[in-house]
Amino acid sequence: MTNRTNKRKAILVTPEVCIGCRGCQTACKAWNQLPGMKTKNTGTMQNPPDLEPVDYNMIRYSEVPSETNPVRWLFVSRRCMHCDDAGCMRICPAPGALFRTKEGAVAFDKDKCIGCKLCVAGCPFDVPRYDKDGKIAKCHLCYDRLAEGMQPACTKTCPTGALRFGDRDQLIAQAKQAGYGKIYGEADLGGLGTIFAFKDAPKLYGYADKPNIPESVIFWHNVLKPLAVIGLGGALAGALLHYVAIGPHKDDDEEVKKS
Amino acid sequence: MTNHWIDIRNADVILVMGSNPAENHPISMKWVKEAREKRGAKLIVVDPRFTRTAAKADVYAAMRSGTDISFLGGMIKYILENNLYFKEYVTEYTNAPFLVNPDFKTAGDLNGLFSGYDQKTRKYDTKTWSFQLGENGLPKKDHTLRNPHCVFQLLKKQYARYTLNEVSDITGTPKEKLVEVYKLYASTGRRDKVGTELYAMGWTQHTIGTQNIRAMCIIQLLLGNIGMAGGGINALRGESNVQGSTDQGLLFNILPGYLPVPTASVTELKTYIEKFTPRTKDPKSVNWWSNRGKYITSYLKAIYGAKARKENDFGYAWLPKLDEGQNGSWLVLFDQMFKGKFEGFFAWGQNPACSGANAGKVRKSLAKLKWMVNVNLFDNETGSFWKGPGMDPKDVQTEVFLLPAASSVEKEGSISNSGRWAQWRYKAIDPMGQSKPDSEIMNELYFRVKSLYLRQGGKSPEPVVNLTWNYGEKDSTGKVKEVNIHNVAKEINGYYLEDVYDKTATPPKLLGKKGELCASFVPLQADGTTSCGCWIYSQSYTQKEGKVVNMMARRGKNDPTGLGLYPEWSWAWPVNRRIIYNRASVDPHGRPWDPSRPVIKWDPVKPDPVTKKPGVWVGDVPDGPAPPMATDNGKYPFIMMAAGVGAIFGPGMVDGPFPEHYEALECPLEANLISKQRINPTIKLFGDKADAYFSCDVRYPFVASTYRVSEHWQTGVLTRHLPWQLEMQPQMFLELSEELAREKSINDGDKVIVSSGRGELWAVAVVTNRLKPFKIGGSTVHQVGMPWHFGWQYPEDGSGGESANLLTPTVGDANTMIPETKAFMVNVRKA
Amino acid sequence: MSEMVRKAGNEEIINHWIMAVSCILLIITGYGFLFQLKGVYALFGGNYAMKVVHNWAGVVFIVSLFATMFNYLREALTYDADDWAWIKMGGGYLSKSAKKAPPMGKLNTGQKFYYLVILAAGIVIAASGFSIWQVQGNRALTQVSHLVHNLAFILFVVAVPVHAYLGTLANPGTFRIMVYGTVPIEFARKKYPKWMKEIGK
Repeated sequence: MTNRTNKRKAILVTPEVCIGCRGCQTACKAWNQLPGMKTKNTGTMQNPPDLEPVDYNMIRYSEVPSETNPVRWLFVSRRCMHCDDAGCMRICPAPGALFRTKEGAVAFDKDKCIGCKLCVAGCPFDVPRYDKDGKIAKCHLCYDRLAEGMQPACTKTCPTGALRFGDRDQLIAQAKQAGYGKIYGEADLGGLGTIFAFKDAPKLYGYADKPNIPESVIFWHNVLKPLAVIGLGGALAGALLHYVAIGPHKDDDEEVKKS
Repeated sequence: MTNHWIDIRNADVILVMGSNPAENHPISMKWVKEAREKRGAKLIVVDPRFTRTAAKADVYAAMRSGTDISFLGGMIKYILENNLYFKEYVTEYTNAPFLVNPDFKTAGDLNGLFSGYDQKTRKYDTKTWSFQLGENGLPKKDHTLRNPHCVFQLLKKQYARYTLNEVSDITGTPKEKLVEVYKLYASTGRRDKVGTELYAMGWTQHTIGTQNIRAMCIIQLLLGNIGMAGGGINALRGESNVQGSTDQGLLFNILPGYLPVPTASVTELKTYIEKFTPRTKDPKSVNWWSNRGKYITSYLKAIYGAKARKENDFGYAWLPKLDEGQNGSWLVLFDQMFKGKFEGFFAWGQNPACSGANAGKVRKSLAKLKWMVNVNLFDNETGSFWKGPGMDPKDVQTEVFLLPAASSVEKEGSISNSGRWAQWRYKAIDPMGQSKPDSEIMNELYFRVKSLYLRQGGKSPEPVVNLTWNYGEKDSTGKVKEVNIHNVAKEINGYYLEDVYDKTATPPKLLGKKGELCASFVPLQADGTTSCGCWIYSQSYTQKEGKVVNMMARRGKNDPTGLGLYPEWSWAWPVNRRIIYNRASVDPHGRPWDPSRPVIKWDPVKPDPVTKKPGVWVGDVPDGPAPPMATDNGKYPFIMMAAGVGAIFGPGMVDGPFPEHYEALECPLEANLISKQRINPTIKLFGDKADAYFSCDVRYPFVASTYRVSEHWQTGVLTRHLPWQLEMQPQMFLELSEELAREKSINDGDKVIVSSGRGELWAVAVVTNRLKPFKIGGSTVHQVGMPWHFGWQYPEDGSGGESANLLTPTVGDANTMIPETKAFMVNVRKA
Repeated sequence: MSEMVRKAGNEEIINHWIMAVSCILLIITGYGFLFQLKGVYALFGGNYAMKVVHNWAGVVFIVSLFATMFNYLREALTYDADDWAWIKMGGGYLSKSAKKAPPMGKLNTGQKFYYLVILAAGIVIAASGFSIWQVQGNRALTQVSHLVHNLAFILFVVAVPVHAYLGTLANPGTFRIMVYGTVPIEFARKKYPKWMKEIGK
């Protein structure tokens, strides 16, 4: 993991002040010029049902039990977490397709993406999506806006500050000062670039208590990759060894003569 | 709004009732959040549904739609019983001590009716709704508030019946919840605590809509929350410029600046002024409306210019007049159209085929027209009504014209927000295609109509041909080539037509030079020497030291009070006052009730910049420069009221001086639980079969409300064409409780048919615990809700659904005639 | 010149080389992907080009692999006691001294096994590859596909070099089959006695 914690930027999500207006969804589409998708109402406000190649962020609506009210209605932003130890970056085979911006975000270059979807397999949060050209599509922390001194489109639009952009350290300090004991993503996966001020257990908000890079990626990384080298090397070495030690195959010439 | 958006952050308790700001005014929640974070403010949400606003509430109370007065009546009783009102404020700044006519009877005395009701005309004779006058001609008062005829005692009497049991039975809100809300809100009755109320169509769109708001006004006066920073009663307007359009005379019964439209019997300007100018003999009352004559005369000068002369009554005769008792409001207008009384119709920036209550009737009405002009950004269900569902184009003779209008970013001008800020904005791009700004469309129309009158004459050409139209350079025929919107703004602000002097001063002091823009409405004259298109906007485009200043274009960010008034940012009517009735935020000596948030305060030492005499108000622009009430020349704080005080007793209403709970026209109950009078006795009832309504009818057993969601706007003409918005909310839906869904075997996401006495439509079922059945008077009442953003025309594949207004009834509020779309009865079945 | 026996037809030879070339391309690009070898990417002209090469080489490979079924599948599924004996003595590859191998048909037991393994692994790697290439929005499938693709890849990188060794250095005289398709009759009689019997030579 690279040492960039000092300059690292982040988005702080505070569901307690999110009003579910979805200005963030629209702002993201406007800035990234993403088309609208034909959807259906399936009996919930949540639409699209999950992240899509044309939806880099979304609000998840969940109705959870409440002691005082008919329900507790949670609005939780969902998007790329910009992990420090990013499963997608670990596994991506295409040089330059995924890259770390100077603010610490995981951004992508569609021209370099080969569409292998390993990032899909490698993401702890099931974030990357593929567009109609088979290229990765996800939140990139508006690094193109940041380059011009602007903040991401979603945080700029958010009317209540449920999405806030800033120095990661500062955001964490502020959230803690505001009374949020634990900041989700503060240390997970080397520290997330999308951090959450949760009042209750992350699970309630639809996030795993301890997010992890999928086992398959770890296995791939720790076992299969070395095995691919050992396998080829072993085969070649074995052949060489066989040639030197045993030599080419010899048959009993008698057999031939008899027949 | 009495206050303004940013001011929400100064509140200690925020009551959201009759609105859903998180969804419909999202930006307001920024200030709600600030109040909560910085002041520890509490948010109370009272709504039949657990809305996105409710999701943020500290206290949420569910209440059956249409029972707000009962809910608030219970709060009034709670405040009075527990002595939680702000005593000094109530005795000094409200009419609580005023003695009322002994013959006046409350709705408690007369089982739901106030004294003076006439069953036949369905109207009140308001003779008894008056104050006892003393020999000096002033209302008699009892500052101890003990006199049984004083407003305070009558108020107690009126709401004595609104017990917790009774209110809970009517509203369906559990008693503990009622107490929790009452207690929390009443905690603002202290001088150092302030509560604000945010309402919108959830209060207005009822047959008792105006009284809903009145009930809250009473509470705010009792708690001393009017005029305070973080207080007030705040209407969140549903469109970006609806405040502006109302200010400028959009409604049938008001001219710009809230001047009444004259009726036919008032034939002379003098009579008009006499009739509509309130009077008081109290020297301490400013009674600002005593200036009515100046404002109407200056208005006539603005619209008729040199043609308006003293000799011809300033052209008063040319002003359109209403017939006596004529109601020209929306429902009546379409009822008349339905009856074939109209030939033509301009649907200008609206979509009545989807937005009008009982939209099916509206659509049929349009078919009775000879012609219709649809002025809009897009074609809509109104312009294309003739090919809509149930219409056979062969049978429709209406000729429809579409005039494409420019959008708000394609033109320059001002818009006025809910906080009364008139903000200037600029054109970003040229109008697309053949579309034109509204002003250009009006310009074309005006000169064509005028030339027809000039060439062919007509019954009454003067109101048209005599209009001034100095909005830009004219061509050889006298037609304005292009409207300069600044000229319109200046006309609204008003001019000195002569050198105008203050004749009360000796020697007379020059107020303004001929040809200059008026400094404010203060120097306006009733003698024709000033013009002003809308008096409350005078000062918005003014002249300072000879230089013309567009105050609305100001973008200063100074905030000297620290209360977020931002006096140099744009301009607020009246005279840049950011919080109206701000003289009520100080005690009679001019000291702020709460020194920690002083809107204004009297500085007795500092010299007045104009008079140079010591004593001046600092802070916001005060409601008049007069010194504090307790001083010699002091004035009462409520300058727009003839009596100078806040009206707990409000005799100006048609349906009673106190709000009384009545059921909606369509309700689930056979009888009003609190009186014999089930519905508002003064509402207009429409008689056509298309207006059918059903109360307590097994065919339509469920209470329904219509509403908006953040993803769409109004009838969706602007948002249904936007794939981004449609992606989030693609289809008409119906929210219903899990209990009702179970009863009807409806699953989340199922298609259902919703029907009312007027029509039916399909919707996608959103089954949720956010709606719960109510226990009303011992029986279960289900409440459902649906948005009104959809229409048959777009999306083109019909996947969006239809307008909820196909279901809503043709009935309006007794005072304003706003349709009752928040409480009516429907049935639901699985499609 | 002694009498020659035709062991492989021209189409078989061409197909083998198509398979061989595509397989090597797949392995090289595969390693390029696996270890982000920039040199390899550069060799193929960048990310996109290498991906195209890999995907289409994969298509060529699997088509070619399927085509071999006409040649080898029946044989590869036929076993008798001699195969068991062959296995027991490791085909005679495990000792320096010459041993008498059981009589084999056109393919020896090892070759038959190799073929079946490659066929199975080829189908698996192609199917998983196709899923990676074409399927969208199924994370679990993508994860499994990648895992399977990688496992099969490892199998290939072990099996293919061994195959190449056995077909060249380890068995002098064998390589010409994949060039000319023919072997001297004595060679054939020695290596494929059963087959020779079958065809009456």
